[in-house]
Amino acid sequence: MLRRAESLMLLFVSITTLGICFIVLPIIALFLLLDPNILAKIYLKDPIFYVQTRKVFLITLEASSISTMLLITLGIPIAYLLARSNFVGKSIVEGIIDIPLMLPHTVAGIMILCAYSGRGLLGDLLKALNITIEDNFWGIVITMMFVSFPLMVDTIKIGFESVNPTLELVARSLGASAFKAFTTISLPLASQSILAGAILAWARALSEIGAILVVAYFPKTINVLTLEWLNTYGLKYAIALSIPLVLLALLLFIVFRLMVSRK
Amino acid sequence: MILIKDLVVKLGDFSLIIDYLEINDGEYFVVLGPSGVGKTVFLYTLMGFLKPLKGKIEVNGIDITYWPPEKRNFALIPQDFSLFPHMNVFGNIAYGLKIKGLSKDYIDRVVHEIASILEIEHILNRNVDSLSGGEKQRVALARALVVRPHVLLLDEPFANLDPRLRAKSRRFIKRIHERLRFTAIHVTHSIIDAILMADRVGYMKEGKFVIISHPKDFIKTEYARPYLDEILPLSEYLRGADYSN
Repeated sequence: MLRRAESLMLLFVSITTLGICFIVLPIIALFLLLDPNILAKIYLKDPIFYVQTRKVFLITLEASSISTMLLITLGIPIAYLLARSNFVGKSIVEGIIDIPLMLPHTVAGIMILCAYSGRGLLGDLLKALNITIEDNFWGIVITMMFVSFPLMVDTIKIGFESVNPTLELVARSLGASAFKAFTTISLPLASQSILAGAILAWARALSEIGAILVVAYFPKTINVLTLEWLNTYGLKYAIALSIPLVLLALLLFIVFRLMVSRK
Repeated sequence: MILIKDLVVKLGDFSLIIDYLEINDGEYFVVLGPSGVGKTVFLYTLMGFLKPLKGKIEVNGIDITYWPPEKRNFALIPQDFSLFPHMNVFGNIAYGLKIKGLSKDYIDRVVHEIASILEIEHILNRNVDSLSGGEKQRVALARALVVRPHVLLLDEPFANLDPRLRAKSRRFIKRIHERLRFTAIHVTHSIIDAILMADRVGYMKEGKFVIISHPKDFIKTEYARPYLDEILPLSEYLRGADYSN
């Protein structure tokens, strides 16, 4: 019996090792196939390349950071409401929030165009407000927000759910208004989840390409440029462009894991 | 003095109905009853977390029925004490004073005063996670008393303590009450709490106070019978047994 259990564990360890290799191998391959000369050329030596790479990195980082900040502002009240109250249709609201997770990315882009572009549902209103999203920086921001929305809200909601609601009742009984009890008790206690949600949403925004291609090809983000270089200059150039993104993603991942393990 | 008149609170199919209840300043009032009779609904209505359908709650002649919880000055000590885990003991006790925007020197002085009365001065810098059950209870008591509440509301304050600590805590809170004479409403399902601590006991059944009396009178009523039936055989056994060693 014991031997059979050991064999089963051995089988599972082997499958786990295969699974890990499946993930790690492409990362290792990326670094092994990296051409240092091309790396130096596109980031440091050749202005034709480095002006463009620096610009797209800046646009990508700016758009993803702005979308994350806007999502934090939106996500905290929504997550708090969902964590603290029961209302008719709550599960429908939760389902709607998770829709972007299920959608193919190009479909998400088309839906954003249908709603918010000049030809879309709110087109006339947005035109009147002088807001354009097609091939526009704000189009990238809105697209990133749309795809990251569920990650932000769901992660923060878990944080608020883990805060004992009686703590707020006690705070109210000690003289704190509902808002003060929220800002002094629930918000700081959920801060790790808010940070985790922000990291996940930011990472998701950074990695988006499909929906961005549909909504705003220009100004180019790093992912759009990587795809373009893959088609124009080949794999070596695309690898060189991908390296900083991989390093950034790994860094975010490590920070996120550390936060989760500290909880 | 707290005065409750013609109060009706509805919560789904459940109704809390209080025709008339007076609780005097400095009184230790124990609300006794089994689970599900409306003790917590009563407490939450007093706190302002549940709104009554009709009736009124007055404190010293002022109608506070629809006041928000933070304006009532009714401090709560929940069953699990609910200490704020992101603050140390000092931060917990000082919370209500900081919310009121009082000066740092005043807060420092008053927190030390109450900590000294409750014999927790030596743990003011401790993290609340590291405290024992008894210490947590004292911190919760200090945090509530430091804001000088009209009423202290205690929701099953001994339920999370082991039996030895429970007896000690009863004596301690009784002693502190005798010293500070705050008005207390203590919700419990333990007749021992009611007998040993109450100036008056209110027994609740199906959302109503069916009797309000002195503990000595209460134990003679039919409502006390089930509780006494449980503890009397033990006292008879102890009388006959030599347990002094």
